[in-house]
Parts: sequence; structure tokens; C-alpha cells
Amino acid sequence: MRAGPPFLASVWVLLRTEVRAALREKTIVVNSIVVPIVLYPFLFWGMFTGMSFVMGRTEGFVSRVVVVGEAPPQLRRMLEVEPKVELRRGPASLEAAVAAVRAGELDAVLELGPPPGGLEVAGDVAARVTADDAKERSKVARQRLERLLQRHRDEVLRQAAAARGVTAEAWQVFSIRGRNAASSREMGQFILGLLLPMLFVIMVAVGCYYPAVDATAGERERNTWETTMTLAVPRLAVVVAKYFYVALFGCVAGILNVAAMTASMGAILAPLVKGTGEELEFAVPLGAIPVLAVGALLLALFVAAGMMIFAAFARTFKEGQSMITPFYMLVLLPVMFLQVPGLEFTLPLALIPVVNVTMMVREAVSGVYHWLPMAVTVAVSALTIAGCLRLAVAILAFEDVVTGSYSGSLGGFVKERVLRRRSAAAAEVGR
Amino acid sequence: MTAPVVVEGLTKVFYDEARGEVRAVDGVTFSCHAGEIFGLLGANGAGKTTTLRMIATVLAPTAGRAAVMGHDVTREAEAARRCLGFYSATTALYPRLTARETLEFFARINGVEASRIAARVEALVERFGLGEYADTRVDKLSSGMKQKVSVARTVAHDPPVLVFDEPTVGLDVLNALEMQKVIAEFRAEGKAIIFSTHIMSEAERLCDRIAIIHRGTIHACDTLQRLREATGKRYLEDIFVHYVAPAAPAG
Repeated sequence: MRAGPPFLASVWVLLRTEVRAALREKTIVVNSIVVPIVLYPFLFWGMFTGMSFVMGRTEGFVSRVVVVGEAPPQLRRMLEVEPKVELRRGPASLEAAVAAVRAGELDAVLELGPPPGGLEVAGDVAARVTADDAKERSKVARQRLERLLQRHRDEVLRQAAAARGVTAEAWQVFSIRGRNAASSREMGQFILGLLLPMLFVIMVAVGCYYPAVDATAGERERNTWETTMTLAVPRLAVVVAKYFYVALFGCVAGILNVAAMTASMGAILAPLVKGTGEELEFAVPLGAIPVLAVGALLLALFVAAGMMIFAAFARTFKEGQSMITPFYMLVLLPVMFLQVPGLEFTLPLALIPVVNVTMMVREAVSGVYHWLPMAVTVAVSALTIAGCLRLAVAILAFEDVVTGSYSGSLGGFVKERVLRRRSAAAAEVGR
Repeated sequence: MTAPVVVEGLTKVFYDEARGEVRAVDGVTFSCHAGEIFGLLGANGAGKTTTLRMIATVLAPTAGRAAVMGHDVTREAEAARRCLGFYSATTALYPRLTARETLEFFARINGVEASRIAARVEALVERFGLGEYADTRVDKLSSGMKQKVSVARTVAHDPPVLVFDEPTVGLDVLNALEMQKVIAEFRAEGKAIIFSTHIMSEAERLCDRIAIIHRGTIHACDTLQRLREATGKRYLEDIFVHYVAPAAPAG
């Protein structure tokens, strides 16, 4: 009798065939390859372009302002020549002017009164700006008036200092200037670190999603499951090949997304950064690449195992999708809470699956490496993956699940086959 | 010499929520020799498919044993699978592979030596007249062509045992006749063939021996001539009714 191919050779042949077939399936190619490369860069470009368009439109508005009280001549001149401010004749009272701001008929009210007293400085005045911050153009009007008042204040101080024979700087006693120690590259890495991990997890999950359904429920729907079951290879080889197939697409989706986002981030953020004077350089540090690869692998192996456990019970593609979706949401939920900039990769976080890989990737992208939490992450992920695979093997030991004649879901299976068996065993012991 | 397929007391019990314990196959015993077509004749739900699935190692027997080329289907499932080709309505082709890729895959995964795969695939393409469509995706093929590719993939590794579970279901008359012709050719090549059907004329035309199975139990098993002698009936339909009528209807 001929000998069959060795285990790993069987896995390789099965995996190659699965991948070849998958690459001919539009849904899988779109979700696992095209979407990671195109969707998020495109979405972010659209979002940021839209934001800058809205900001541009807001900047273009002329603010409608009413001055209540007597303005010093210098300040009045500044208000009159400011092209983005239109001075209007106001309502009779301050209350009426504020009501007009609330109603959107005016953008801001500048209330001027006598200075609190003390110094005899020409142009000195007490000012209060009232705006409706719930309205964007009103908020912009307030900011414009505050900048204008600041300019007026600087001028008043300069003149007062000159009258006393000192420089304006000396007259201010001390001044505060901020300086960003981070380089443009580090700032870029910081922004990438905030954005990329979330998209990375989403993409790995999306990358696994369709292959997981395709490899399980899809086979049953196409009536090829039994064909596969009669192949002259160990059943474990079939399961391993399918698992690697799902994980491979998840891993590829994650890595492609990171590469695409990194390459396109500069162009995407350009409309927002323009005019701020900031220079951002988006590049993933070289040292982060192995960490990203390990992160993508761990995450893909975990997500693939989890999704295949859920999808193992499905008999149609639709059933598979609805069974996997809760797990998909479960994977994505913790990541939503990780978008807090100051969050640190601590040991407790390293114990939480998915969260730990996300944090590891986030820090690596920012050029930060905490080796102990990273090691814990790898260990915890490996244990979780092993647990999932152990569960998958236990489930696939049931013939009716393998052949697709079991008509329940994972929840029903655990209730019927695991919990009931345990309670029966407990009753047996109690007798 | 041991027969290529030996089945002894094969039993399969399912648990069904509504019906409780169901004995789909109950103590089935038979053997199938090289160069023989052994027919499993029974109504729908008689236990034909379950029996064949156990022989093909898709299902595990609850009791009894079956061996393919001496390999126990439970303990040496992989070796048993390597010695048989299983064809049924539920063993569809992978739709996204081409006909040629399908044959290559089945030859390789079922243990054909790498150096012989290309020649084997070409021989199958030639034999089943697939040349024109060999590089067409399976899902783009007509049902007649799919059937040819399906049979070709069943014998891709040239197994000594072939199992055909109702192979003509859903085929038109010409394709059904073509299928019968191909199965007869396999017999001439010395393969041991187990063939299940509920169509009496097919069993009459093809099978060297026929087992009448009803409610999971074999009621008679012999050549058509001997079954005629034993029952005094001429037509297989009458013979079938003779054995099955005393029992209750199939499930």
C-alpha cells in the first residue's frame, strides 16, 4: 500500500489548496486584502479632508459682534479694521444681546467696562466675551475676540513700559514659552500609536471573518465537507490546515493595514497639519516591525481559533456569519477603550487577551518597548490560543458537529453536552 | 484471501431529540470482492448511506466492524481512506478549483507519488474526456462535466475499493447510463465496488450480488439469480417487496 504524505506535507497541500481557492473568492479577497489596504486610508482621508473643509468654511465666516460699553479708541480701531469681525448695533440691553447670541442672530457680545483700578494706563479696560460655545461660529467669534483683546493688551503694555523707560518684556516680569522636545518623527509615531492598534485589531478580525465562515459553514453549504472528510489524511491535518488558512488571512490583513496606514498617514493628515507649523513624519520604527509581526500572528491565531469554534456549528454561510458576529464584537470592544493617550502598558493589562497585543503594538509603533509586559503578552496569548484549540478539538470529537447534523450553536452545545454532563457526573458522585 | 471490504455486525445508533434512540444500521454483515459490484438496495431511510459512510470512515460505527483492504475503519481510518474512493451526492467538488487542479489535489493528498501525479492527471483527463474543460473552474462546468470530474477525482489515487452512494440520483437518463458504464469499467479493472441504489433496474443491470436492506437490517444477500430462485419471483421489484413487505415501512 502507498504511504500517505507526512502530516506536515498534508497540512501544506491542504493549506495551499484552501488559499488558492480563497484567492478566487471575491468576498474574501475584498475583505482580507483590498479593504485593509484601501478602506481605512480612504476613510481617514475622507474624514480629515471633510474636517479641514468644515474648518475652512468656519474660518471664512465674518463674526457678528456687538460691543456693550465704551471701548478705548485703540481697541475700537482694531475692531473696526479686523476683516473677520463685523460690529453691529446692538440690542438695547446686555440681556437682549446675550439672548440674540443664543438665538444665533449674533455671534458674540463684547462687554467692556472700567478697569478694576490701580494703574493709570491708557487703554486699560475690563472685558468679557459672551458666546454660545454650542455653536461653532459663535465659538470661533469668541476666539477671534480673545486674540484681538490679547493684541490690544500687548500694545497697552508696550506703551506703558515705554512711558516708564523699560522694555515690554521687562514690564511683563516673566513670560512662559513652551517647547516640544519630541521630534517630528516621534510626534508622528505618537499619532500612529493612537490610531493604528485599533485599526490593526479590526483588520485582523475582518481578515479572519470570511475565511473562518468559508472554511467551516461554507464547506457544509457547498457540500464539500464530506469530500474533505474522506481525504486520506488525519482529520487533525484538515483542522490544522483550515486554522492556518484563517489565521494567515487575518495576519496578512493586519500587516497590510499597518503598512497602508503608515504609508498614507502623511498625505491623509496633511490638510489638518497644514498651517499649524507642525511637521509630522510618519514611520514605524524598524524595531517595531518584528513586534508588529508577532502581534499580528498572535492576534490572528487567537481570533482564528475563536471564530472557527463559533462557526463550527454553522451549516450555512449566513448561520456562520451570525454565529461569529458576537465573538467579533467581543474582540473589538476592549480596543475601543484603549484610545486613551496616557494609558500605559502595565502587567495587569498584559494579562487581558487582545488588549495586551493591542497595547504591545501601540507601544512598539511609538518606539517604546516594555519587555516584561511583552513577554507576559506572548505567554498569555499562547495559553489562550492553546485553550481555544483544546476546546476546538473537544468540540470536533462530537461526530454530529463534524458532520453538520448537530442543530444548535456553541451556547447550546456547552449547555447540552458540557454542563449537563457535569451535573450528571455530580449527581452520580452524590449518590 | 480476505475480501477487500469486510463488514461484520456493523451498527449505528443515533440519538434524536424527537425520536430518542434510532438504530439506523443494525448488525449489517457482508463482504465485497475484487472485480465485483456489490449492490445495497433499499428504500430511502433504509440505512444504505449510513452503512456506506461508516465504510468510508465519515461516521464511526456504534458496534461491529468494517475493514477496507484489511484496514479497520475505526482504528486505521486514514489507511482505509487511502484504499477507497467515495462518491455520493454529498461529496461535491471544490467549486473554485479547476478540473485539473481538482484531480491534482486528490491525487496528491491521497498519496500518489509526486513524480506520477502529472501523468495520472493527464490519464484521467484523457479517459473522462475532460480535455477541453480541464482548466475551467468547476463551478463553471455543466452538471454532466461535474459528474465526470467527480468520478475522476474518486479514482484519482487509483484505489482498489470504490463506494458509490446513489451515484445516478439527479442525473438525466444519458448521464445515468454513462455512469453505469463507467462503474462497469471499474469492475472490469478488478476493483471492488459497493453501489447503493433504490432503483431496481440499476441494481439488476449492474450488481453481481445484491443485499436488500430495510430499517437498518439486511434481509437478503445473494446473486440476482439465487434471489429469484429463493423467492420464485422474476423481477427484482417483486423480490424486494417479498423481503421487505412483512416489515414495517422504512423510517
